[in-house]
Amino acid sequence: MFARRRKHFGTPADKATYATLHTASLASPHLREGLTPAAAGKASRHLRDLLGTAAIAICDSSGVLAWDGVGGPYESNHRRDAKDLAAPTLRSGRTAVLGAHDVACGDPQCPIRTAVVTPIVTEERVVAVLVAYSNNTSAALVRATEEVARWVSGQVELAELNKERTRAMEAELRALRAQISPHFIYNALAAIASFVRTDPERARELLLEFADFSRYALRRGGEYTTLADELRNVERYLVLEQARFGDRLKVSLQIAPEVLPVVIPFLVVQPLVENAVRHGLEGTTGVGNITIRARDQINEAEISVEDDGAGSDPEVIRAALSGESGSDSVGLGNVDARLRQVYGDTYGLVVETAVDAGTKVTFRIPKYSSGVHASP
Amino acid sequence: MSPAISLTAIGLVVVATIGIGLFGLRISRTTSDFYVASRAVSPRWNASAISGEYLSAASFLGVAGLVLVNGADMLWFSVGYTVGYLMLLVLVAAPLRRSGAYTLPDFAETRFESPVVRRICAGLVVGIGTLYLLPQLHGAGLAVQTVTGAPPQVGAMIVAVIVVINVAAGGMRSITFVQAFQYWLKLTALATPIFVILLAWHQPVGVLDSLHGAAAEWAEPLSRAGGRDHPLYATYSLLLALCFGTMGLPHVLVRFYTNPDGRAARRTTVVVLALLGLFYLFPPMYAVLGRTFAPDLVGAGGDTVVLELPGRVFPGTTGDLLGALVAAGAFAAFLSTSSGLTVAIAGVIDQDLLRSRLHRWTGGDYVAVNSFRIAALIAMIVPYLAFTVTGALSLADTVGLAFALAASTFCPLLVLGIWWRRMSTTGAAAGLVVGGIAASAAALVNVAGAPEGGWPRALVGQPAAWTMPLAFLTVIVVSKLTPHRIPAGTARSMVRLHTPEAVDVDRGLPSR
Amino acid sequence: MQSLIQSQLRLTLVVIGSVVLVLGSIPLLFWLVPPTRTLSVLGLPLPWVVLGILVYPVMYVAARIYVRNAERIEAEFTEFVGRQ
Repeated sequence: MFARRRKHFGTPADKATYATLHTASLASPHLREGLTPAAAGKASRHLRDLLGTAAIAICDSSGVLAWDGVGGPYESNHRRDAKDLAAPTLRSGRTAVLGAHDVACGDPQCPIRTAVVTPIVTEERVVAVLVAYSNNTSAALVRATEEVARWVSGQVELAELNKERTRAMEAELRALRAQISPHFIYNALAAIASFVRTDPERARELLLEFADFSRYALRRGGEYTTLADELRNVERYLVLEQARFGDRLKVSLQIAPEVLPVVIPFLVVQPLVENAVRHGLEGTTGVGNITIRARDQINEAEISVEDDGAGSDPEVIRAALSGESGSDSVGLGNVDARLRQVYGDTYGLVVETAVDAGTKVTFRIPKYSSGVHASP
Repeated sequence: MSPAISLTAIGLVVVATIGIGLFGLRISRTTSDFYVASRAVSPRWNASAISGEYLSAASFLGVAGLVLVNGADMLWFSVGYTVGYLMLLVLVAAPLRRSGAYTLPDFAETRFESPVVRRICAGLVVGIGTLYLLPQLHGAGLAVQTVTGAPPQVGAMIVAVIVVINVAAGGMRSITFVQAFQYWLKLTALATPIFVILLAWHQPVGVLDSLHGAAAEWAEPLSRAGGRDHPLYATYSLLLALCFGTMGLPHVLVRFYTNPDGRAARRTTVVVLALLGLFYLFPPMYAVLGRTFAPDLVGAGGDTVVLELPGRVFPGTTGDLLGALVAAGAFAAFLSTSSGLTVAIAGVIDQDLLRSRLHRWTGGDYVAVNSFRIAALIAMIVPYLAFTVTGALSLADTVGLAFALAASTFCPLLVLGIWWRRMSTTGAAAGLVVGGIAASAAALVNVAGAPEGGWPRALVGQPAAWTMPLAFLTVIVVSKLTPHRIPAGTARSMVRLHTPEAVDVDRGLPSR
Repeated sequence: MQSLIQSQLRLTLVVIGSVVLVLGSIPLLFWLVPPTRTLSVLGLPLPWVVLGILVYPVMYVAARIYVRNAERIEAEFTEFVGRQ
């Protein structure tokens, strides 16, 4: 009976474990943000609680990220020296135990006489060190400091992972944003609406095209498709644009059938065509010619979209590609970023343009790239 | 034989080939019709193109010559060239297409996730391609020599230069339509003289005298007419090399990429079988007629029988015209196969060996197209140099060695890679190395001067019967010994290779 | 999945087996039964008829049979997976 009750509340050892876990749990959310000075500062208080030392510091190669413990003149003295103490461990990745000779500041009142310097390692790289100051170093303290540093390393690694995931989500978001432009939806629906009374049969056909286009653009899963499928979608898009522009929109195609099975990131051609339609036709009353080419270049396919419209200032395009401006060339920057992300920096968009000279956008796709496969 | 007419015909072939490639298609392809533009290459067109690229000098000239000299055993050459596609069909066609690989090194990378295996494959592609280009140059030299009397180096040089310029000038040679045209040109060139001869004789049986009677020993299989020892072994070994080497030829896989899916890849292969069967009906006829009309060629190696036969049967204008047609067909054979091979080899040299180095040497200041051009030049210079050094080997024999090398390296890699899930990366590498060394050692001994006779000569002359099982065995044993080196993505690869495209499954989307 | 690969592999092996049996036995036949080397069929020696003409249609038919069966296996698999 008695024994059971004791078990219920826990042994002293259990209680210590719970306290430790609780303290650790307080520190972890801060560390999950990564090793920024702010996060390190907030976490360091809990880390010192875990170790029970006079003071701790977290240093990276740039200096002291965080300090917790004794304050006043002691802090400023030891803070100044911390970078030098940390340097050997930052380099070697080995725990260093430093005695009074290296650490003590000369003030007999100072509680800091020794230090344990342990590395914080992520992906086999020393990113920072944890320094535990006390007046006396024991083997237990060294062990505890090492364990805490290892735990911090784990948390920082998780933080890196979180960042990766955020980056992936951003990429996905970019892809989503490329899928469909509100500008186009509005114009397409307006064009369809204009046929509803005069030519209901055509309006119906256009609506079906629009439905197919949306289904392709909003499909779930799979980042890649074949050039043949992408071109089929470009066709749907152009049918809808032709409803709006009529005979003013002229399209010619030069497609080498050999490259139709090439796997490409989903929705990379359509935004370029949309861009060409906008540059070639909007704002003028004349005829706009758009040429879509796909050539077989042995190991690669070369795809280009050209219009004979107003062209633009190369500087504006440069800004659009680097993602700076929210101008009307949003599609370009998006496609460029996705191509580079998948195939590397040598596979971005090449834009040839000048004012009043039309625009030609070209890109290359390797026929085979490891890890790139079409999904049905 | 009239050099002027033949040279004109050859010139026409060259101009037509380059012309169609550079200008014709660019104009005809412009359309505003999406339905037309986004239609994939149909199995029929693609099959014509594969056959056009595949039927090389060895098929056009070599087979007839071999049969003429060595008799019925050599019929196995054309049988083997054809059965190779049946093996390719049942073992690798659809899965290979579904792998998404464009070159053989691509397949190695996607299946074994190893840059080392990829690099070995790249080296082997260059090796097999060189061994296969060698007889093309040899054939071109022979053709020009027969027509004009110029030394063989001239014809080889002409083909080498045309191919390099054509390939480097934009690689237009990979166009399906051009290669498909080459098939029908070759078939017409080979078939027309035979039909004319048979029609002119009214009584075809008289033409077939060489197959019967006392002088017909050459027409019997296993007769040692060609002075070969162990004909049974040689026949089996040759058959093995041809049947299982085809799938490892660098220019074949590249064409399969053009198929939209695995199903189309299979259907294409079936059409290829029909087209090759049709073509191979004719070379033996040249041999039979050659025994009657040009028996002196038997002693001269026989490789020129196709070129000379029309002139022997019809002295005069008819013979000249038919001879010119055959010479044009032969040139089409050198051009199409050499171009296809050069494109395939140069692609691999460019991608796997040259581009990264060029990037490093020039600090990124290079143009990708230039890298390919240099690669095309290398791809042709190496076999040309080898040609000037060797030269004496018979056409179909050298091709046989190229097939043996392919059968001993890429065949185990592909077959086991596609069907055996316990194949390890180390096993793949070991098989490639062992098979490659064994088969190329045999090839080198042949080039340097084969052993005098008996078993050594048979084993070295037709190595596939021992090198191919050796390679398979190496892969299996080493894979069993290194189970921890089985690629982590094997299960995913298997799903991708074997699942029909219509099924919506997780096909293992990118890990990036 | 495993069953798909296995039935495809079985089909492949059956085709290869038949080809090896048919083609492989031809040289053996000539080797063991010498009269077949000179036997005349339709005015042509048997080896020439078999190796020069007959093999090609036979290969083509074998390929057609293979493709039909391989596509049937895939269609069954697709239907099975689709139903799940």
